[in-house]
Amino acid sequence: MADEAFEQKKADRRAARRSKGGEEQGTLNLTSLMDVVSIIVVYLLKNYGTDPVVIAPTAGQKVPMSTADSPVQDGVPIYISARDITFGSQKVVQLNETGDVDPTQVQKHSIIPLYEMMAEEADKAKQTAEMQQKEWTAQVILIGDENLKFSTLVDVMYTAGQAEYSKYLFCVIQKNS
Amino acid sequence: MARKKSSMVEGEVEANLLPVMNVMFLLIPALLLAMEVARFAAINVVPPKYAATAETKEPEKKPEEEPLNLKIFIMEDGFRVSASGQQAGAEAGRETDSTRPSIALAKPSAPLNDFSRYDYAALEAKATEYKRLFPHETVATISAENSIPLQVLTSTMDALRGSKCTLLAASKSGQIPEDCLFWQPIIDAGAT
Repeated sequence: MADEAFEQKKADRRAARRSKGGEEQGTLNLTSLMDVVSIIVVYLLKNYGTDPVVIAPTAGQKVPMSTADSPVQDGVPIYISARDITFGSQKVVQLNETGDVDPTQVQKHSIIPLYEMMAEEADKAKQTAEMQQKEWTAQVILIGDENLKFSTLVDVMYTAGQAEYSKYLFCVIQKNS
Repeated sequence: MARKKSSMVEGEVEANLLPVMNVMFLLIPALLLAMEVARFAAINVVPPKYAATAETKEPEKKPEEEPLNLKIFIMEDGFRVSASGQQAGAEAGRETDSTRPSIALAKPSAPLNDFSRYDYAALEAKATEYKRLFPHETVATISAENSIPLQVLTSTMDALRGSKCTLLAASKSGQIPEDCLFWQPIIDAGAT
């Protein structure tokens, strides 16, 4: 009896509510989601790269490991993977299966296509530096594959030297990072 | 009127978090792209012709002191170390002994792409020995056979610099720590 009265009361209340303002609207509680997202954003901000040059090795390229801890300074990056040499986001030279540059593209250790691009870039950089009344750094960052042959590395360094780049940085991954 | 005012004061005002959430969700991929997965570092290398104009000036070098002229040649079967024109480990009375390396491989049977086949600890010990004799020297000339991989060259430079050397602190303070041995490598194509 008491149960019936209680159920009736409940039904009446429900009917009254429905007649008052239609169906009840549910609200999403965003506070907990905000907490999680805020923590993720803070974590990502903490790991934000602060190097002046964004190093993005090409697919399949393994940058050598080292105990060196000097920061990467501003410069022109050259990516030397096991397959090709990339300069200014453009694949300049293909390497053969043994990791050497095609001999027809090399003249006395100078890699011709790479030299042409680097010399052009150097001229532009010099002009920009002159306009901004700054000194041209003439710095090149060599991002080589861990299996890169010494002979190919020397050719790339020689070519950069021919294009008037006089400072060289080897990009490595910090061993204890 | 009074009733209306009181209902306005008492009513809870909920902050609209949706625009904030939108910004946050845009920030996440942007920050993920700029995130450092691996920490990159740089090794400053000097080619031979610019060796004299190395960025850092040499600290009070005594004029009467003979240059060490430390040269490391990386071969497929070990390191050949020479200083002041004399190869370490060469036969008595001979300046060089091209048939044998000064420091043999740590793992002679390991393939060439096994970078741990070289005895870097022995090379560092040798470098420490030379540094004790020539404390003002900071330069080492490194050359290698054509087939030597970049990782071996990098590890050789690490060994010559010293495992305890931290140049990051030195760049801030301007003083090179005593733990740093030969931290200015010169890459030479033709050094033997």
